Amino acid sequence: MSYFLIFFSAAIVNNFVLSYFLGICPFVGVSKRVSSAVSMGMAVTFVMLITAVVTWLIYHLILVPFDVVILQYVSFILVIASLVQLVEMFIRKVSKPLYDTLGIFLPLITTNCAILGLALFSVLRDYSFMESVVFGLGAGAGFTLALIIMAGIREELELAPVPKYFQGAAITMIVAGGLALAFMGFAGMI
Amino acid sequence: MSSTLSLKTEFIKGIWKENPVMASLLGLCPTLAVTNAANNGLAMGLATTFVLLSSSLMISALRNLIPHQVRIAGYIVIIATFVTVADRFLAAYFPSISASLGPYIPLIVVNCLILGRQEAFSSRNGIGRSLLDSLGMGIGFIFVLVVLGIIREILGSGSIFGFAILGDWFTPWMVMILPPGAFLTLGILIALANWYNDPSRAKERRAVS
Amino acid sequence: MSKMSLSTRMILVLTLITVLSGGILAGWDTITKPKIAFHRQEALKAAIGDVLPAHDTYSSEETEFGTIYIATRDSSDQPVGVAFMAMGSGFQGELRIMVGLSPEMTQLTGIKVLEQIETPGLGTKIVVDPSNKKDPYWFPAQFRGVHVSPELVVVKNAKPTQNNEVQGITGATISSKAVTDILNNQIANIKTVWTSRGGPES
Repeated sequence: MSYFLIFFSAAIVNNFVLSYFLGICPFVGVSKRVSSAVSMGMAVTFVMLITAVVTWLIYHLILVPFDVVILQYVSFILVIASLVQLVEMFIRKVSKPLYDTLGIFLPLITTNCAILGLALFSVLRDYSFMESVVFGLGAGAGFTLALIIMAGIREELELAPVPKYFQGAAITMIVAGGLALAFMGFAGMI
Repeated sequence: MSSTLSLKTEFIKGIWKENPVMASLLGLCPTLAVTNAANNGLAMGLATTFVLLSSSLMISALRNLIPHQVRIAGYIVIIATFVTVADRFLAAYFPSISASLGPYIPLIVVNCLILGRQEAFSSRNGIGRSLLDSLGMGIGFIFVLVVLGIIREILGSGSIFGFAILGDWFTPWMVMILPPGAFLTLGILIALANWYNDPSRAKERRAVS
Repeated sequence: MSKMSLSTRMILVLTLITVLSGGILAGWDTITKPKIAFHRQEALKAAIGDVLPAHDTYSSEETEFGTIYIATRDSSDQPVGVAFMAMGSGFQGELRIMVGLSPEMTQLTGIKVLEQIETPGLGTKIVVDPSNKKDPYWFPAQFRGVHVSPELVVVKNAKPTQNNEVQGITGATISSKAVTDILNNQIANIKTVWTSRGGPES
């Protein structure tokens, strides 16, 4: 598959959030303001990119040659958790403003299924190194896109007369259903 | 901080009042992803409960040993270990289930429900209480997954647990087994639960009776 | 415990946990590995059996376009068919198809879609079509005996008239076309491998 197709497929057609349900927790929790959605999206994309690189190297240079693929999940999640910590410390040292925008979202990312999902999917699909990197970027872009659209709708929803029992999580799910339906319109474009 | 609830309440609370999905919105990723059929929901629920129980057992046993600073790292290693055990078990003994759940079994590692229970409960309570808490939460999780799976399977494929129950006259609502159907069904279920739990309605009910 | 410094304790406990985890997993790996390998082998055997005519054994051979499986009968060393995997994009994601070809590389002996994530109820008819009660497997079944040269062609809303045509699925033209495109592509690859190998005579 060409790089463009991988990117487009991960970002739009098979959007991580709306068709694979990966990263739903922050999708529901953080998507209340467009500004924080943008920051969260950027933080996730950044971590995804590094995760794609590092987990690919670990899988193909350590797990497979030493025949310890059974340690795949343990090593992936440990690496992701440590990466997130490192990135957080690095950003705090390097740039205060960047830390203020991205920093608070970083600890949440460890248990974001989109990150581990990314690592698992690129192993499952036998992606080459460059393909994994492009896949990571596409998945991050797709996550950011879904989060921003959702946040935009929820800002409007605050002014809408939502029925009492649907307020909160219920209406978020219904809106997400509508979005997923809309994104299905892209199917067949790859 | 030891809990003072009776053992029975410890067990019951996860099933409805503090249901991980309906009340706390935890573990939404598998809840939505695998419930296109009741079978898949049940298998996912059982696998998650297994991981929850075994991690709770281990973590509540080791709780005084694990230093506070590295507890999360310790927890995720333990959780990932049991997820691998469950994943390999399904692949070895139930290959068809393993194939249909695919990467969503390893994703149990990052199911916030599991890490959440370890952090909030098993790290602070004894083995017995932790196991009861996990069992209740696990049953609550299975309950939601199976209900979602049944609704989506009936409307989307006209069957329950793979057995056709609706005749030829029924045109399946394709959307129910597709991603949008997952979101819509869960949204409506949460609204129903809100309605059921509404305190003002409870007052009415009492007034009537 | 309390006399130890905090960092020693942290390292000690984490090491203990990882060693424990490694031990559990190593043990579990030895128990489950043969079973998983066995299931994989069985699934492969079943798929090859589905796409090739009756045979007694098959041998596998690595080529630059993936493994090919050459089936033979005990009574003769002439192959009865060649099976191989074909992969490519479907409507929504990757399709993996097991393909069987006659040893002359002229006709398909069968196909089986092993993995797909097409639209349920439409694109999934490339595997099975529950709406067709009499013949739910009509789509994959019609490939048996179809000629592969010059290439496979999908016809819409009509019965095939040429020997290289197959009927498309109504409402899932892209999925149907994806199947034939993937087949055409990989068949061309395998043909070159087969000719350079000396063909059916070898």
